[in-house]
Amino acid sequence: MSVLSKVTPPLDVDIARKAAQKVLDYPGADGVEIVVAGSSSGLTRYANSQIIQNTVRDDVRATVRVVVGDRAASATTTQLDPQHLALAAGRALEAARASLPDPDFPGLAHPEEVGRAEAIMRFDDQTAAATPNDRAVAVQGILRASGADNAAGIYETGAHAYGVFSSTGIDCYDAFTRCNTTCLVDLDGSTGWGEASSHATESVDADAAARRARSKADAGHNAHDAEPGTYEVVLEPSAVATLIDYLAYMGFGAKQMIEGESFLSARRGDKVAAEAVTVGDDAFHDHSVGIAFDFEGVPRQRVDVIAAGVADRPVTDFRTARQLGESPTGHASGSNEFGPYPFNVVMHPGTRSVDELIGGVDDGFLVTRFHYVNILDRPATLLTGMTRDGTFRIRQGEIAEPVHNFRFAQNVLDAFASVAEVGRELVAIAPDYTSFGSTVAPALRMGEFTFASRTSH
Amino acid sequence: MKEVLTAALDAATAAGASYADVRGGETTTEALSVRGATVEALDRSESIGFGVRVLADGAWGFASSASVTSAEATRVAKTAVEVARASATAISQPVELVPEPPHQIEWSTPIETDPFEVPLEDKIGLLARAAETMDRNPGIRVARGTMDLIRHTTYFLSSEGSDITQTIFHTGGGIEATAVGDGEVQTRSYPGSFRGHFSAAGYELIESMNLADHAERVAEEAVALLSAPECPSTVTTVVLDGHQVMLQVHESVGHPTELDRVLGMEAAFAGTSFVDVPDAGKLRYGSEHMNITSDATIAGGLGTFAFDDEGVEAQRVDLVKDGILVGFQSSRETAAATGADRSNGTMRAEGWEHFPLIRMTNINLLPGSGSLEDLLADVADGIYMCTNKSWSIDDKRKNFQFGCEIAWEINNGKLGRMLKDPRYTGITPVFWGNLDAVAGQEEWQVWGTPNCGKGQPGQTMRVGHGTAPARFRNVSTGTAQ
Repeated sequence: MSVLSKVTPPLDVDIARKAAQKVLDYPGADGVEIVVAGSSSGLTRYANSQIIQNTVRDDVRATVRVVVGDRAASATTTQLDPQHLALAAGRALEAARASLPDPDFPGLAHPEEVGRAEAIMRFDDQTAAATPNDRAVAVQGILRASGADNAAGIYETGAHAYGVFSSTGIDCYDAFTRCNTTCLVDLDGSTGWGEASSHATESVDADAAARRARSKADAGHNAHDAEPGTYEVVLEPSAVATLIDYLAYMGFGAKQMIEGESFLSARRGDKVAAEAVTVGDDAFHDHSVGIAFDFEGVPRQRVDVIAAGVADRPVTDFRTARQLGESPTGHASGSNEFGPYPFNVVMHPGTRSVDELIGGVDDGFLVTRFHYVNILDRPATLLTGMTRDGTFRIRQGEIAEPVHNFRFAQNVLDAFASVAEVGRELVAIAPDYTSFGSTVAPALRMGEFTFASRTSH
Repeated sequence: MKEVLTAALDAATAAGASYADVRGGETTTEALSVRGATVEALDRSESIGFGVRVLADGAWGFASSASVTSAEATRVAKTAVEVARASATAISQPVELVPEPPHQIEWSTPIETDPFEVPLEDKIGLLARAAETMDRNPGIRVARGTMDLIRHTTYFLSSEGSDITQTIFHTGGGIEATAVGDGEVQTRSYPGSFRGHFSAAGYELIESMNLADHAERVAEEAVALLSAPECPSTVTTVVLDGHQVMLQVHESVGHPTELDRVLGMEAAFAGTSFVDVPDAGKLRYGSEHMNITSDATIAGGLGTFAFDDEGVEAQRVDLVKDGILVGFQSSRETAAATGADRSNGTMRAEGWEHFPLIRMTNINLLPGSGSLEDLLADVADGIYMCTNKSWSIDDKRKNFQFGCEIAWEINNGKLGRMLKDPRYTGITPVFWGNLDAVAGQEEWQVWGTPNCGKGQPGQTMRVGHGTAPARFRNVSTGTAQ
């Protein structure tokens, strides 16, 4: 948010701090930490080329974590008045007292030890102020641009704010906005996909996303069956984003590494991908939409988990950093059960255009995006899923014909070890299920990707 | 709450809504995770707020707020109408709703023991006993017990005169042990994966599961999986336990028969369906052993209630009868779009802040006859797979690959060697066409799926599935081939 900002975020810093101060000295607690969040968002869904659902949501919530000796528990409320906050603190205190000793509990973070976060404030007034009518106008434009009577997707705008405060002196606040659009065009069973996301509406070219979806659908008619097998592929950014999101989920966190479930457990320090591959977490990247601290109030660091192909280091929270004898990287997820998490995954770009990547393939496939991916083997980074909304054969460096979707079964790191070239354009992808986080991905050309089976259609 | 909701309803109508409903929600949860001898996570939450859904100018609008005051109710209701009018600028057909009589009722999940009245120390102790037993196995890296308790009260008022108050209890718990070998991880759980077994019940469910009694076996199986042979890639007879049949029903019958998917309304995100409205009464979905109901009235299901989130009475309907597709899961809007005269009551919202969607209630594979042993006895050479682990299916719900935690060879009707990483692939109507037996009522259990995702903004729903072990012939096993 610039100094000229006229739009108040959905949770003002003074309101957040005032709410926190009501419980930071809660009687009986040895320490209190409170995470306060507010959001105001609108999402317009369209399908069959008309608006079908249209929602506006205003939400606040506060999570109070109370420490008693080496035990901690939390309670959450959607009400920021003193009575409900005190009740939440009381429930957390009661739970902490009932809990079991936790010898590894690191206590609450101290700003003297972890530093103080400086807000990113990736906040755009126009996006925060977008009205239902603004979103409807955007959808009308998408429908015109798609030129189809069977287009489906969303247009979403929102403003979100977070604050973390603690009895140890943590006091941080940040806010962001987001605009996100998707478009699927279905032309008698030939489907195409386009999407765009940014912190600002003016950077989201929804019409271009719709035209891209239309173009893919146009090109997908009369799809052929293709033989499954291991091929060269070009993955467009949406497909790459899915792979790096799952890779991050499977193994970028220190807890998974410590528990033996991450590829980092056995391979930290090893070369696990091609030198062109650098991927990690970076809330400060120009394309990222995130905040400057984690849910313990620890400043976020840029972390290249895989740096120039080498498995370097995990992201950590306060607990796992202590366990590893390292400084926390500021990636507490808010769930001690899950552990630290990279909410802003970024893969570094290369130098090639997508057309140049395609030009480098003698016999392979172009994948627009994946669908319904799931984990088969976490430490091996083995995934399965489907291709969707635009899969094309590449022959002698040219798109040859559309093909029916494949099921893939692929070890992500093996695929990344075969990366030959990286695209120069980075695309921001918003998460599917939450307003928090972002993924930034280029296109990739890789030498080996395994399509395990064709599909019935 | 009721006073605020009434204000919202009045404001929506005054602002020009031709139809309005208002849902207030008060949800209390307790989530507990014990790892070994320590409490890994303990969170107690409340969520209070309301949402206003309106039709104006033939289109939907929805707005919600956590601020439960009369002034906010008026603002939110006006916003919902403003949203609807914006929607109306891009519709080709005005929304029509099939009629539903107004209902006035209070209803609550029947429970024996209020889980929120049980001392926390007792809950922690129960999980710790099981977790510590698993932890004593030297091959176990992570031993965890979890418990999730939910009390969800909804107040529903509509401009048609409905006034419904429902309090629903959902309770779940389970244990899991993870063994780590040479670059390999194997997890075994009880009674089911992904935080255990869930039911519309009180604390009596947790006590009935006897978690500690199963801890030693669960740990031993996790360790044994590390050295077990891989499930072979072959075509064979597969017997699935009830937990995996739950997943099979959920993904390949539940989702494809949701009318919003069938009508293309979920195309961009969750996908569509391989079935179409005219297929009802004609399409062979599976063998004659396949009988599937959508039933919000059964005891214990996570999809059991008195009324759905648009005020339609809970119902039991057939989806597949003797292998033929005969019905869909519908809402008041989609029922009208397909010429039906009544919704079958499947509109559900995760919370007050969400627009209700067609969601599974309890999608059940009706029992056949005989025991699990009877199913196995008829298998000369096959594989018995247990406890869901992974799932992936295409956007039309036709091409799938599912995986389980553990399997055993079946040799001449008897279980043989343990197998790890069991997976199988199939084409939905072909796979169900190869169903040749479902075990009987004595093996039938209502399972709970607490993590079904759908919609934008994303919503997570808890849904139920009554299933028994089932036998399928000519199944492709191993990783997709």
